[in-house]
Amino acid sequence: MSFALTIEPLGQMLTVEEGQTILEAALRAGIYLPHACCHGLCATCKVQVSDGEVDHGEASNFALMDYERDEGKCLACCAIPQSDVTIEADIEEEPDARNLPVHDYAGSVARIDNLTPTIKGVWLDLDRPMDFQAGQYINLRIPGESAPRAFSIASDPRDGSRIELNIRHVPGGRATTWVHQQLAQGERVQLSGPYGRFFVRESSHEAQQLSYLFLAGGSGLSSPRSMILDLLARGCTRQITLVNGAREAAELYHHDEFEALADAHPNFTYVPALSAEPEDSGWRGARGFVHDAAKAHFDNDFREHKAYLCGPPLMIDACITTLMQGRLFERDIYTEKFISAADAQQARSPLFKRI
Amino acid sequence: MDMPVAKKKLGLKERYALMTRGLDWQTTYQPMDKVFPFAKYEGIKIHDWDKWEDPFRLTMDAYWKYQAEKEKKLYAIIDAFAQNNGHLGVTDARYVNTLKLFLNGISPLEYMAHRGFAHVGRAFPGVGTRVACLMQSLDEIRHSQTQIHSMSNYNKYYNGMHSFPKMLQRVWYMSVPRSFFDDAVTAGPFEFMIAVGFSFEYVLTNLLFVPFVSGAAYNGDMGAMTFGFSAQSDEARHMTLGLEVIKFVLEQDPDNLPIVQRWIDKWTWRGYRVLTLVAMMMDYMLPKRVMSWKEAWEVYFEQNGGALFKDLARYGIRPPKWLDQIEFDKDHISHQAWSTLYQYGGASNFHTWMPSDEEMDWLSAKYPNTFDKFYRPRFEHWRDEQKKGNRFYNMTLPMLCQTCQIPMIFTEPGDPTQTCYRESTHKGMKYHFCSDGCKEIFDHEPEKYKQSWLPVHQIYQGNCFNPGVDPTAEGFKPLPVVLDYYGVGFGRDNLDFEGSEDQKNFAAWRGAATTNV
Ligand SMILES: Cc1cc2nc3c(=O)[nH]c(=O)nc-3n(C[C@H](O)[C@H](O)[C@H](O)COP(=O)(O)OP(=O)(O)OC[C@H]3O[C@@H](n4cnc5c(N)ncnc54)[C@H](O)[C@@H]3O)c2cc1C
Ligand code: FES
Ligand SMILES: [Fe+2]
Ligand SMILES: [Fe+2]
Repeated sequence: MSFALTIEPLGQMLTVEEGQTILEAALRAGIYLPHACCHGLCATCKVQVSDGEVDHGEASNFALMDYERDEGKCLACCAIPQSDVTIEADIEEEPDARNLPVHDYAGSVARIDNLTPTIKGVWLDLDRPMDFQAGQYINLRIPGESAPRAFSIASDPRDGSRIELNIRHVPGGRATTWVHQQLAQGERVQLSGPYGRFFVRESSHEAQQLSYLFLAGGSGLSSPRSMILDLLARGCTRQITLVNGAREAAELYHHDEFEALADAHPNFTYVPALSAEPEDSGWRGARGFVHDAAKAHFDNDFREHKAYLCGPPLMIDACITTLMQGRLFERDIYTEKFISAADAQQARSPLFKRI
Repeated sequence: MDMPVAKKKLGLKERYALMTRGLDWQTTYQPMDKVFPFAKYEGIKIHDWDKWEDPFRLTMDAYWKYQAEKEKKLYAIIDAFAQNNGHLGVTDARYVNTLKLFLNGISPLEYMAHRGFAHVGRAFPGVGTRVACLMQSLDEIRHSQTQIHSMSNYNKYYNGMHSFPKMLQRVWYMSVPRSFFDDAVTAGPFEFMIAVGFSFEYVLTNLLFVPFVSGAAYNGDMGAMTFGFSAQSDEARHMTLGLEVIKFVLEQDPDNLPIVQRWIDKWTWRGYRVLTLVAMMMDYMLPKRVMSWKEAWEVYFEQNGGALFKDLARYGIRPPKWLDQIEFDKDHISHQAWSTLYQYGGASNFHTWMPSDEEMDWLSAKYPNTFDKFYRPRFEHWRDEQKKGNRFYNMTLPMLCQTCQIPMIFTEPGDPTQTCYRESTHKGMKYHFCSDGCKEIFDHEPEKYKQSWLPVHQIYQGNCFNPGVDPTAEGFKPLPVVLDYYGVGFGRDNLDFEGSEDQKNFAAWRGAATTNV
């Protein structure tokens, strides 16, 4: 039986599967809880259970004392909920998180178009509007597949009835092949959302006077597009820069729209970059990968920004390194990695928490 | 009537910030630079101390309560261990020699770590950093205390554990761990944090504690195992502090990168050299082995450290220097070290022995490319000689490396048949080194390392005799008087395990405990 877990001070609610630990459930939902040994020895993951019952599992008697058990402490890496549980964890509060509840939605395909040879635009009319934060994603049910697939919402959050997805075809991928070859206008779809903690930290931008930097690769333009549309529509006056990477000119989409936005908004700069465009094509914009284009555009100095990175894991990795060498660090970097089944989990050190 | 408005609960981070930040002030009677005289001379530039992120948010109140409870548990186990003659439950009395190594060489370093963190905590102008150092300083003094208490029970029954503070200062090979920590605490505050907080506590700590703690568990020593667990619940905090330090310093100013890189190179090498003693302990001194030194190095350094240095590369940090040599040497150093301690078994403070056939087979299996080829023949020769009554004791004092203070026992990178010697000349004096790493460390700071208190030099200079000894007297024999000065009882605290008091007593007591005579 699964239980609901509420994580304070975020106020985020999520589901813990039968037998799953609190730490596992939180990490899966993209919420970082401090942890180290993962075996109940080091006490790094100690949290307060403010409501509900947990089983302490393998927690060591030295890492979690009897009196702490009495006080309602637990080790998140070992604790398995026995009821709905609320914990209070040592994590940063996010004043910009709306912590919207996740619901199931049904809808139908209003339009489906080729945006590029590899990316489809899919517009869904939901039976009832979804309240989401720009940058968040939905889980789309795929006929015949038990696991849903994640796709970020590319459209302006002020319209929760018709949402836009940009879906890149992954060769050999079951879901994206279905979207590209079978999904048609009028078809019914099931999805749930909104998910994710990829949203703009507007209050920090205001408090510290930071500019916005969006780095997008391939179909990773979806979240940044939603965020930028939202910011501009709400009259944001800070500098906003979008560096958008694609292989070649034919793979650029929403290109004219961003050029028009750049013309209309002096605080918005659009930098499209192509990595494999033929030399003689007459392309006059930036060449190279997203991180190269960003480095050149900012002359290797990214200070006074917060950066939002969205796209395939390799692109995100390269961008983080470039940003850090240009002196922008973890506290100002947010990522949404478009992980698919092909991306093996790599060994990681605990040096970085979120990126 | 007004409804009471539910006040939003503060997050732990905010609560902690309210309790720990803003405790300091800009001084007016004296300039800040005078109040924090060590904060700048190393060249590290800090622009904003508030960017320091507290690695662990623990208040003093919670800290006392938690540690007191831990202590209660630990001492209950130690008492039970003592009352039940737990020492007779260990695999065999050779095991106790690993405790001698630990008590003499490591526990006093815990105390030095306590002093070091207290000192550098005072030296940092940032309040968050100060609080973190204070906490770790308290942990470290507890570690040294609980270790001493856990092992004091053994001191009642076994030799060589009676005066560890003195031995750390005097016994020749103890200058290896001692000089490591003396080097760290006499460095500037930032270097200390990279040396101990990052390189030692983060990069190398598992190679020290896991072998000892698992070694204790494997060999039936519940007392030592328990202090290990009790300390491990602090270790994660220390590792987090090490990581925070390096991130903070690297993020503050690009000029900090080359300084930090040099420290990482230096302190990884220094720490690795000290771990030679652990390597030897793992492969030779535990009657029941946990894993080989080589395996431990591969798991704890090559795998875990590899992931760390991959992440650090984003700051422009590269893996520590001389790793290729370390990689080559992982097949050799434990054997080279044990040969040395075996030969100098007449001058040390614990017992040594030659491995049994079964143990040699284990070594061949763990070191298939090197043990049989380079070390087994020597060991079998020594064992045969011992059987004939010629137990080999080397009476010539070895030459020591000016930096790590280990005798020149290591071999050339890539050639295990050639002893590695390096030298540098500084102000007309020649200095000798065991390796490129130690030489480069010296060359960068000759004025520091020329002051090394090298036990062999000190003996020759006549500085290791008790008052009243006359080295010019007829028939003067240096070894007995040096051992006197060390506080080592010749033949009782040292020489071969075979025939030692420890061996006889353990056999007799265990016999009495398990039979009806
Ligand atoms: C938060 C989030 C948001 C996302 N947003 C978007 C978006 O807006 N737009 C977008 O286009 N994509 C997005 N993605 C990526 C998208 O979810 C994946 O591309 C999609 O799930 C792939 O599904 P699939 O069924 O087509 O491929 P899968 O069947 O899952 O397989 C993907 C690839 O891996 C291979 N593969 C399958 N199993 C294995 C295995 N065990 N080992 C090795 N290889 C294997 C397949 O052959 C195929 O090449 C997002 C991902 C995440 C996590
Ligand atoms: S992560 Fe170490 S105790 Fe939970
Ligand atoms: Fe310690
Ligand atoms: Fe050396």
